[in-house]
Amino acid sequence: MADTESADDVLKAEFPPLVQIERTRGDFIQFLVQKELLPAVVQYLHTHPRWHSRLALLWAVDDRPMREGASLHYLFALDNARQWVVLSVELEGADRLFPSITPHLHAAQWYEREIRDMFGLIPIGHPDLRRLVRHEQWPKGTHPLQKRFPWNKVIGRQQGEYSFLHIEGEGVFEVPVGPIHAGIIEPGHFRFSVAGEPIMQLELRHFWKHRGVEKLFEQRILTDAVPLAERVSGDTTVGHSLAYCQAVETLTGLEVPRRGRFLRSLFLELERLHNHLGDVGAICNDTAYSLPHAHCGRLKEQVMQLNDRLSGSRFLRGVNRVGGVTVDLTPDCMTEIPKELGRLDEDFSELESIIAANSSLIDRLETTGVLTARTARDHAVVGVVGRASGLDYDLRRDRPFAAYGELAVKVATYHYGDVRARMRVRVDEIHESIRLIKRLCATMPAGPIAAEPGLDSKGPKTPKAGEWALSAVEGWRGEILYMVMAGENETIHRCKVRDPSFVNWPAIQWAVVGNIIPDFPLINKSFNLSYAGNDL
Amino acid sequence: MILALVLTAAHAMILLAISPLLVGLIRKVKARLQLRQGASVFQPYADLVKLFRKEPVISTTTSWIFTAAPFVVFSSTLAAGLLVPVFISHVPLSFAGNIIALVYLLALGTFFLMLAGLDAGSAFGGMGSSREAIVASLTEPAMMLSVFAIALTAGSTNLSTVVHQTALLQGIVTDPAPHLMAFAALFIVTLAEAGRVPIDNPATHLELTMIHEAMILEYSGRYLALIEWASALKLTVLLSLMANVFAPWGIATTPEPAGLGIGLLVYLVKVAGLAVAIGVIECMFAKLRLFRVTDLLGVAFILALLGLVFFYILRS
Repeated sequence: MADTESADDVLKAEFPPLVQIERTRGDFIQFLVQKELLPAVVQYLHTHPRWHSRLALLWAVDDRPMREGASLHYLFALDNARQWVVLSVELEGADRLFPSITPHLHAAQWYEREIRDMFGLIPIGHPDLRRLVRHEQWPKGTHPLQKRFPWNKVIGRQQGEYSFLHIEGEGVFEVPVGPIHAGIIEPGHFRFSVAGEPIMQLELRHFWKHRGVEKLFEQRILTDAVPLAERVSGDTTVGHSLAYCQAVETLTGLEVPRRGRFLRSLFLELERLHNHLGDVGAICNDTAYSLPHAHCGRLKEQVMQLNDRLSGSRFLRGVNRVGGVTVDLTPDCMTEIPKELGRLDEDFSELESIIAANSSLIDRLETTGVLTARTARDHAVVGVVGRASGLDYDLRRDRPFAAYGELAVKVATYHYGDVRARMRVRVDEIHESIRLIKRLCATMPAGPIAAEPGLDSKGPKTPKAGEWALSAVEGWRGEILYMVMAGENETIHRCKVRDPSFVNWPAIQWAVVGNIIPDFPLINKSFNLSYAGNDL
Repeated sequence: MILALVLTAAHAMILLAISPLLVGLIRKVKARLQLRQGASVFQPYADLVKLFRKEPVISTTTSWIFTAAPFVVFSSTLAAGLLVPVFISHVPLSFAGNIIALVYLLALGTFFLMLAGLDAGSAFGGMGSSREAIVASLTEPAMMLSVFAIALTAGSTNLSTVVHQTALLQGIVTDPAPHLMAFAALFIVTLAEAGRVPIDNPATHLELTMIHEAMILEYSGRYLALIEWASALKLTVLLSLMANVFAPWGIATTPEPAGLGIGLLVYLVKVAGLAVAIGVIECMFAKLRLFRVTDLLGVAFILALLGLVFFYILRS
């Protein structure tokens, strides 16, 4: 009975003081929640079996100059309802305190610490208020996303030391790894507490490459920030730029032509393909089984050269623009691409059977780095990692964007949550991506590839200051979320970027417990999270 | 006397000269099997030259052990190499030590490497040393037993006598079973001692997974060059042991120029063949989980033990 009722009616009946904010667009409903009521509503949404919701995003906005004060927004993805729910809390004036929901909902922990660092708002009741993004050498009171903080301010340095969690006892050692690594790895610090080889605890200390991306967005106008989105995480160029473009298109009411949407899906799948190919090889290589690594490297290179031929960029830079895509493909391409990927598919299938038959490899992958479904759910883990732990989310199927509404996407899910499951999800998705690309090429409609922003007299319009839109894209790592809020004159008032890495990183701390130290690089590789996309 | 000196010098030169080549050959085989061009087989020489020219950086927290270890490792490995017949079955230095001396000369090098790994006080070095200690303690008995299986047939623990007797087929049981068992055991031991897949991965950059490489992470410049050379030398010594103790055919039994030439050629072919085998294995297997390494070394020990048992069964 509950499933047929819409979420807003039930929530209003359950919590009468909630005020629903009317929205003209977007498939989510928004409520204004009183500060005191927030934990109760969150707990209800999170724990009530009717909703089984997942905290998808938590962001803050400094509403000045439109309104004196800041606001916090909690996005919940409901399993049982298509509509997503946004709870908004407004802080008045100089009020810097907001109730922490982390004690009720573990997934909020990093978000709240991030908000504290970037906005100077304090989550009351948060169990861990150490600095997260803002390392100890940042001077006190540096909160870059406050509107009164100039984007080009050079901050000084102060002395300070992060206090790690210590385990004490006989024979317990701490092994610090990073942030400088051997090989081509982004900076991240891992602090292991070990008793012999088995890992008792891992604590991450990331955020070494803060570039102020979200602040930089605010210095640009809506149509001009695509290159910035492409560079949030270099390996997810299409995913991030697509998510950004979609948010702006929702804001400005631009309708992307059908061919444009098909091409977007095609490029997104190409990006998934070359990254997954690289990952499968890299996972094998971390067990010292170098043969698949060499072959996957070769196949990945083929896809990247294909990317280059199609778009002029191996990483598909610059294919997305607000309103559509910049690159059109000739009819020849539509026959060439399926042919080339068909050969690649055969090649990869052969390699796959070699990998699957290698018992020494499978022995390394099975039962290594198990992320249980429970832990994954508690951290609101998304993407490949989630699907390997039995969380059956895939935006391409669940909230179709681009051309996915017209494609039936098969979602690969496994339940073991170990390294092998994460590799198998990738292997299955490689085949599925190739199938989708072939399908896209076969059904590619004719027509324009992009809508012109500002030229069409009836459609596009300039968004009012304070209007905002959400966009969600299933990138190759998982769910990429963008929240873009317009300012005056088509400027960006706030752009919240959420790479899947941000939610998946904390989960790795639990996946490694009980494993031995030499297996950590393999587990880490099977997650393959972005450090840059996490840090922003 | 002069002949002995010349032969010993030649012996040492050959070991020193071909050891980087063997490493280069393994890398080349791996590269070709992966459809890669790969670096030249002579690349390890260039690497050594480069490292010898570089200034070493030494951590201020280290003691004399850190700087002494490369020399100890290098010289003990070379000394061990001089006990193993290469192109002539009777090495002039055979009076100096038998198979047990060989095992413990190699162990001396390992021991100092472990100390050096601990010396700098870094977490990785300590991990490498602790892992090496596990591996070394398990390879030692397997290595001893496998050579004993051969020593029994030859009636001596002196390597030169063993090789000489085997080469002349004197007093050898014709059944090859003990030989094959011991050979398999020694092959596994070689993979472990030389830090190859599936026990260790010499090509990795992942500090947390390393054994041998973790111990030497703090080394640079000529110290690193010495250690790299010594580990190549160790691989060469172990391969020579396999090549000449188990299949000494072709080796010179008397110091005549023609025989020596043939002996050298056959030797080179044999060790190159073994190096290729290692390269192929490295392409076929993933590295074992750290705690499964003990199982593999246990297998090596059992194989060697079976070799011994078979010897007695076959003789009676």
